[in-house]
Amino acid sequence: MGFSLTVNGDRLSSAADPATPLVDILREEMHLTGAKPVCREGFCGACMVLVDGEPTPSCLLPAALADGREIHTVEGLAPLGMLNRIQAALEASDAVQCGMCFPGMVVSLTHLLTTRPDATRDDIRAALTGNICRCTGYERIVEATLLALATA
Amino acid sequence: MISGSPIQNIPVSARDAPASIYVAPSLAAALDALNEYGPAGAPLAGGTWIMRSPIRHEPLRSHYVAIGRIAELTAVRIGSDAIEIGAAVTHAALAAALAGLPEFAGLAAAAGGSANSAIRAMATIGGNLAASEFAAADCVPALLCLDADVEISGRDGRDRIGLADFLAVRSALAPGRLVTRIIVPRAERKTAHARLPLRRSGDYPVAIVSLSLSVDAANRVQAARIAVGSVEPSARRWPRLEAALLGRPLDAAAAARTAAELTDEFVGRDSVDAPGWYRVSVLPGLVRRAAIAALGS
Repeated sequence: MGFSLTVNGDRLSSAADPATPLVDILREEMHLTGAKPVCREGFCGACMVLVDGEPTPSCLLPAALADGREIHTVEGLAPLGMLNRIQAALEASDAVQCGMCFPGMVVSLTHLLTTRPDATRDDIRAALTGNICRCTGYERIVEATLLALATA
Repeated sequence: MISGSPIQNIPVSARDAPASIYVAPSLAAALDALNEYGPAGAPLAGGTWIMRSPIRHEPLRSHYVAIGRIAELTAVRIGSDAIEIGAAVTHAALAAALAGLPEFAGLAAAAGGSANSAIRAMATIGGNLAASEFAAADCVPALLCLDADVEISGRDGRDRIGLADFLAVRSALAPGRLVTRIIVPRAERKTAHARLPLRRSGDYPVAIVSLSLSVDAANRVQAARIAVGSVEPSARRWPRLEAALLGRPLDAAAAARTAAELTDEFVGRDSVDAPGWYRVSVLPGLVRRAAIAALGS
């Protein structure tokens, strides 16, 4: 019987096992590889996507339960070839890490910018507790986020 | 017969069939489905424990009944005598609902400080209590020291048991039974929740101390409930420490010294993140931190 998903505005019908983690459907059936299945425990944040606007580790969400909900991956946060506000600030601040953790960070920070325009340095750090970077780049990421908030 | 939103409905007898997830539109429908599926079925709320089954080398069930969209299971009712927490209330929602209620500062800290923000928006209180293999659940010790009851429902009615009793039987609940509510009595008390993760946040705690204290006008402890989590396979009360604090002024340093004399009753569990001896050794420090927090609540 399968299920349907709406990802970045595109519709997909899948016949996969309904308990398949959403991240696997995104990558294997929709070829959206921004979300990375790294820890598969919801702790590293590399697979973070927005589900109904909320940051969600897509490794822990059964794909079938995403049926009827709005999903945005990092690929859908800005029009093709363009950067959103946090992406531009990250680039301007040289706060760019490798592609493993960074898409998830961009997802979490995009949510922060849209929901907490008054966010403080501590709020930024709290928003990133679900995103682990092994390259020790947090400080510049925090500074870039403050820049993005200041230029809103 | 199951009504609602069957995503994939496969006969229970079909072995090796892929998992199905039935999104229950009501509690009655969920209980019907769980009863029909029997041992092949299980409830699914936040999914943060079940979806990690492959990591634990545990097979998924053939059928899951999703309960996260059932209105009565996703509500927190704050009454004058008790609060009632639906089993599918998320940690984030619980922390938000308890904000501004000082007597529940410990539970709010447990729910609002567990894991990371994205997990807190998914993980549910019922799942936290029902996952018998999850030793580091934050809300379990927090609720133990609040004298919480657990409501378990089936098609034949509802039962209500104390949380400590529930923890003892939770891994053997009969098929078709579902945790539906947690009931916590209200009282004037000071509560706190102290946890020690390996990272500052976003990590499992090595050890947890939750406490609930009633003090008189001279700040002497009149009643104490203290619970320890993550140290042993299941959270439990610390009755010797509770008794030792009675009648004495609430003093964080003194409480920590007393705790240090009483840690011998714990046998810490070894795991990849921390050895058992270490989990026990940090308890006095957590008692001190919890007492300081309680003094401020």
